[in-house]
Amino acid sequence: MAPQSPPEARPRPIRVSGAAPGAGHSAEFLANPALFMLRAWRECGELAEFDLGGVRNILMVGPEAHEAVYRAPDDQLSAAEPYKYMVPVFGEGIQYGAPLDIERQQVKFLTHALRPDKMRGYASAIAQEVEAWVAGWGDEGERDFYDEFKELVLRTSTHCLMGSEFRAKLTEEFGALFHDLEQAISPQAVLDAHSPDEAFAKRDRARARLQELLMDTVRARRRDAGDHPDMLDVFMRARYLDGSALPDELIPGMVVWIMFAGFHTSSNTASWTAVELARHPQYAPAIAREIDAVYRPGGDLSFAGLRGLPALDRFVGEVLRLHPPLVTLMRQVMRDFEYKGNVFAPGTVLAISPYVSHRVPEVFPDPERFDPTRPPPKSVFGAIPFGGGRRKCVGNAFALLQVQSIFCALLARYEFEPVDPPETYRDVMPSLILRPSEPCRLRYRRKRRQAARSEPKASEAHEVDR
Amino acid sequence: MRIVVDLDLCQGHAVCQTEAPEIFRVVDRPGDYSRVEVILERPPEELRAQAQAAARYCPNRVITIVED
Repeated sequence: MAPQSPPEARPRPIRVSGAAPGAGHSAEFLANPALFMLRAWRECGELAEFDLGGVRNILMVGPEAHEAVYRAPDDQLSAAEPYKYMVPVFGEGIQYGAPLDIERQQVKFLTHALRPDKMRGYASAIAQEVEAWVAGWGDEGERDFYDEFKELVLRTSTHCLMGSEFRAKLTEEFGALFHDLEQAISPQAVLDAHSPDEAFAKRDRARARLQELLMDTVRARRRDAGDHPDMLDVFMRARYLDGSALPDELIPGMVVWIMFAGFHTSSNTASWTAVELARHPQYAPAIAREIDAVYRPGGDLSFAGLRGLPALDRFVGEVLRLHPPLVTLMRQVMRDFEYKGNVFAPGTVLAISPYVSHRVPEVFPDPERFDPTRPPPKSVFGAIPFGGGRRKCVGNAFALLQVQSIFCALLARYEFEPVDPPETYRDVMPSLILRPSEPCRLRYRRKRRQAARSEPKASEAHEVDR
Repeated sequence: MRIVVDLDLCQGHAVCQTEAPEIFRVVDRPGDYSRVEVILERPPEELRAQAQAAARYCPNRVITIVED
């Protein structure tokens, strides 16, 4: 390693203005992390130093800074330390509630549950749910697409995770329990996830109840010797490298973890995709033509078909650029970390913000303009809605598959327009996950060339004239 | 064609192994992340389509096909 320059000669990041004695920037961060970090970057540039209750944080912006962080090993920059507030949500013994070596193997179980052979089954499960969901929509109407997608993604993800039998018994309680968990993932939790707060007490009750509900499913599955195409099946067979099985009591934690990672992030992305389609209808025909080539209403939606949708892919990519559901990703320095002569000591938290980095004009010219035709950035570290490096979201391909499947079914049938003035649909952050403001109402109308004929039944779909 | 993999970023998803089993294999490494191993660094031309699919669908975009 190159010798470090003497401390007094080293550059250091510019400090963000407005720190209060003791609390630092906590109040402004708590109010809206996305807007705070946007201000920090505008004021300080690539490296912005801020203070959360005595902890030194550095916001690192742009592909070069991201790459340095994402290439660093776990024992130098830890993802586990800053995310300890997730332990009460997923449970002890799961993810960052487990030793690093175990956690890595648990992540591997997740990747096994998301392999291409499994994804084929998920594509058809999602299609089945989406078909059932739009079946009663009629020729036109108005719906709140924040609420709609929350419900739909709950159905599609539980179906892929725990199979059709669990999905069929899905109750309102399950969704409500996840809501209680989500409410506890707040900026407040980042500061102290165990403080005596009603939201945290509700979180702990919800987690305990989910343990009961999901253990019932695990026990029922143990009594049944058959193969299942879902993720639960993978967890039930999972073995650590030493040959020991993933204990049954931890399987509910795996389910909560994967649900949590994929539920609101995907449903919010679907909501924003619908809003941007309504606000930018000029892009819809090209996407619809592409969809028409691989799918007909009521027909099969195959994994292979979903791979042939580049325009939809770019559209969702642009949605994730402007509205990344996770606005900050954190690492804690465990060993001195040097970047461009700055040396960050152990205990410093490095923050990467997709929300901010996706607005750097040198990487994304005219960044506030929604433009799905913009060329991708030169660096793979430019667009980072799923993070990057070894710790990139392992569900990214599944998330895109899910959103694409939903829009295949919708855009094959309907056109969308905003109900409210277009500029009133805004990013809001009531928790650490970005989502569209409410109401999130859109009007939908059956596409003209389809309006004349009624929807084919699933069994007749393949006979529809092409 | 030559296959180049950015091992710092590989997460061991094994999508490449599904797309091109003649070229890629994902191996477990006790105490560390599972990671890809390139079995055929210079695959024959008839495997080009599989190699391209592996590069394109790698969830972390770590595979590059270099022409030299």
